Amino acid sequence: MTSLYRRRRIANFVTMSFCYGATAISLVVLAAILWTLFSRGIEAIGFDVFTEMTPPPGSHGGLLNPIYGSLMMTGIATLIGTPVGIMAGTLLAEYSYGFLHRLGEVIRFVNDILLSAPSIVIGLFVYELVVIRQGHFSAWAGALALAIIVIPVVVRTTEDMLRLVPVGLREAAFALGTPKWKVIVMVSYRAALQGMITGVMLAIARISGETAPLLFTALNNQFWTTDMNTPMANLPVVIFQFAMSPYEDWVKLAWAGALIITVTILLLNILARVVTSVRRVG
Amino acid sequence: MSTLLLEGGEPAANRRIRQGRAIDRIFAAAAIFFGLLVLALLGTIIVSLIIGAWPALSKFGLRFLATTDWNPVTQNFGAVVPIYGTLVTSVLAMLIGVPLSFGVAIFLTELCPLKLKRPIGTAVELLAAIPSIIYGIWGLFVFAPLFQATLQPLLIKLLGPIPLIGALFSGPPLGIGVLTAGFILAIMVLPYISSIMRDVFDTVPPMLKESAYGLGCTRREVMWQVMIPYTRAGIMGGVLLGLGRALGETMAVTFVIGNAHQVAASLMAPGNTISSALANEFTEAVEDIYLASLIELGLILFVITFIVLAIAKLLLIRLEKQKGA
Amino acid sequence: MNSEHVAARTALTSGINYGDSVPAGAPNVASVSILPAPVKIVIRNVHFFYRSFEALKDINLPLYDKRVTAFMGPSGCGKSTLLRILNRMYDLYPGQRATGEALLDGQNILAPGLDMNLLRARIGMVFQKPTPFPMSIHDNITFGMRLYEKLPRSELDGRVESALRRAALWDEVKDKLKTSGLGLSGGQQQRLCIARAIAVQPQVLLLDEPCSALDPISTQRIEELIAELKSDYCIAIVTHNLQQAARSSDYTAFMYMGELIEIGDTATIFTNPKVKQTEDYITGRFG
Repeated sequence: MTSLYRRRRIANFVTMSFCYGATAISLVVLAAILWTLFSRGIEAIGFDVFTEMTPPPGSHGGLLNPIYGSLMMTGIATLIGTPVGIMAGTLLAEYSYGFLHRLGEVIRFVNDILLSAPSIVIGLFVYELVVIRQGHFSAWAGALALAIIVIPVVVRTTEDMLRLVPVGLREAAFALGTPKWKVIVMVSYRAALQGMITGVMLAIARISGETAPLLFTALNNQFWTTDMNTPMANLPVVIFQFAMSPYEDWVKLAWAGALIITVTILLLNILARVVTSVRRVG
Repeated sequence: MSTLLLEGGEPAANRRIRQGRAIDRIFAAAAIFFGLLVLALLGTIIVSLIIGAWPALSKFGLRFLATTDWNPVTQNFGAVVPIYGTLVTSVLAMLIGVPLSFGVAIFLTELCPLKLKRPIGTAVELLAAIPSIIYGIWGLFVFAPLFQATLQPLLIKLLGPIPLIGALFSGPPLGIGVLTAGFILAIMVLPYISSIMRDVFDTVPPMLKESAYGLGCTRREVMWQVMIPYTRAGIMGGVLLGLGRALGETMAVTFVIGNAHQVAASLMAPGNTISSALANEFTEAVEDIYLASLIELGLILFVITFIVLAIAKLLLIRLEKQKGA
Repeated sequence: MNSEHVAARTALTSGINYGDSVPAGAPNVASVSILPAPVKIVIRNVHFFYRSFEALKDINLPLYDKRVTAFMGPSGCGKSTLLRILNRMYDLYPGQRATGEALLDGQNILAPGLDMNLLRARIGMVFQKPTPFPMSIHDNITFGMRLYEKLPRSELDGRVESALRRAALWDEVKDKLKTSGLGLSGGQQQRLCIARAIAVQPQVLLLDEPCSALDPISTQRIEELIAELKSDYCIAIVTHNLQQAARSSDYTAFMYMGELIEIGDTATIFTNPKVKQTEDYITGRFG
């Protein structure tokens, strides 16, 4: 074995070991995060986490109002953002000819940038647009900020899923004399339904953990409220506030909240994968 | 307008035709409207940020980008500290994260046994699903103390005495700080970069790789001399995408960066980034000029991120065109 | 363009008008059609362009009602393109256009200002790959019907049954009408698509290589189906399979590089073609 060959073999060994090592590091970090969440979160979880309000420092309480707030704002954001995203995605996939093709290219480009844009900027934007005008923070503003984050995700997945529908299927519908909107709604959407639902689920998973946009819009609320026109408690901001505080009770609740968020997101991701893999025969 | 084929035919069908045509127009108009809404969103964001930042823009002008002052009392603000922090943490994230992403991507495309590919691939993608705030609290409560106890003293002892770069590793081991933020960010961007790299590596034609192996190249040589040159544009695009995300990360960084308004030479020191400054000080910003300065920081962040993401997108589009052609 | 082509074409189209009959006894070895058949569609001076590429050059030919006309030729000769002109499929794609006339019962269907959906309801098409919609078998059939007719449930079901019967699929699916169309085999799916096309009671049926994705048994069943269906429709079929054209059609047209080389009754084309190119293709010298 020449020394050159030996050097090459060593270099190869080093590089491949590095690849194994990099993967190991990623998996270890994932495991560590999940382990920490579960161990610290489980000790904090109890029945009262789900039934009591956020307490003042030093006393006992739960996360009921932030859970409610997160559910409300996430739900409304999804309701607002999904139709907008689906319609825009439909434009990109089904109306892609002539001048609309060019327009679609521009919209796709901008959409992908919005997809990765810092969410804190979205929060600032809604602050400027809504909170300053209204003079107060509100859950509506929070829902709006989350909706703006939902839209690019849904646009992207809708377009990708619609493009997977075979051309022949659409042509067969046109060949029967079906007007275009019916071809889209009754054939394309139906064929792409699974994928579109997955996209919505992933969008929900994404906004469940978003903190920064809510900091500038819905802020936080120590008390229970169902009034969307006022600041409303939500899990991410509460976790932020409690975890950075010096009070042990609060830190414990923060871990409980973190566990709740992470489990929700993991469940949504798993569900999305299950939905995608169910073979459609019926 | 159009006739024939059903002249004298059933009026019901004719009515359906007309309805169908009307709904077609409405549907198409709605699709176009919402598509334009996406464009309008981007424009409105930029405009409203400029409007919000105007008091600071007009008062400080370009000075804003050159001052390290950040004084709510005297109302003098400058962007150097947060911009520095944002850039340094992101560069650190790239320096640490890109090689790691490479390693994971190569492992998953070349080295991983088939049965394990899916579970490991899914696990890596799960890293992307974990929200920023979870990384933040994990970073603060688990990683930072660990870092402080083990790696940090080691780095300081080993690299501190070295002239020049030693300055980067000097100071007490605090656990939190710029380097810690860099590590956390690296892990956060890893799944995004490695996912793009995986897709891009999969496009390398097997015959190309086989010709290199056939000449007796080692795996590493095939990687460096065949795969990477072939996928250059895609890799760049993926890296820039990761950079774009790292620049904008808020919560994870806010927890571990220490929130100190200073530009220190050492990576062990605490600092500030644009997003952590915004997250921390927003609620305290009562005066108009304070608020406007914060918003101007947001505007700067948005512009930087936009440029990075736009370049990334253009590179990836070029790669698509190459593939298709 | 040599004299043989010119002679063949002018003989066929000169003076052909709607209402003309073909001489009785136009023979087809498999099913002899004795009755005279009127002309359903006349294609005149049709050119077709994909952007600036001319895919069809000056096509002239008649399509007879209650007869099967087969189009054959090597890949890229334009036979599918020609078929797709007849239901204006190309309208969906900008950059594709046709000039000339195609007269359906005397009315030019290539004229601007026509309602496409209405036209396509009168002309049915079945594609190369089976394309069942992602819905139940029953809904697949009624999809087209419900576009233009408002029928009570009982009549709807009756039409579904008769369409499935005509497509020779009824016995196989009558117990599972509510299950998804995607659960059928390839041959069954294609018969479903045929049933779906005839359920709207079109006047013309366009079949674009309907058997190319199917196994020989399914192919045979569909060819039998076509033989039965032709008593009610004007059928145009594009096929890659020479033997299929010989078996199933009354008239055959041979196309090459966008031009109509020869058209005539099937028996003559296959035993005694007038143009040498046709003979070369049939004997396998090219294509």
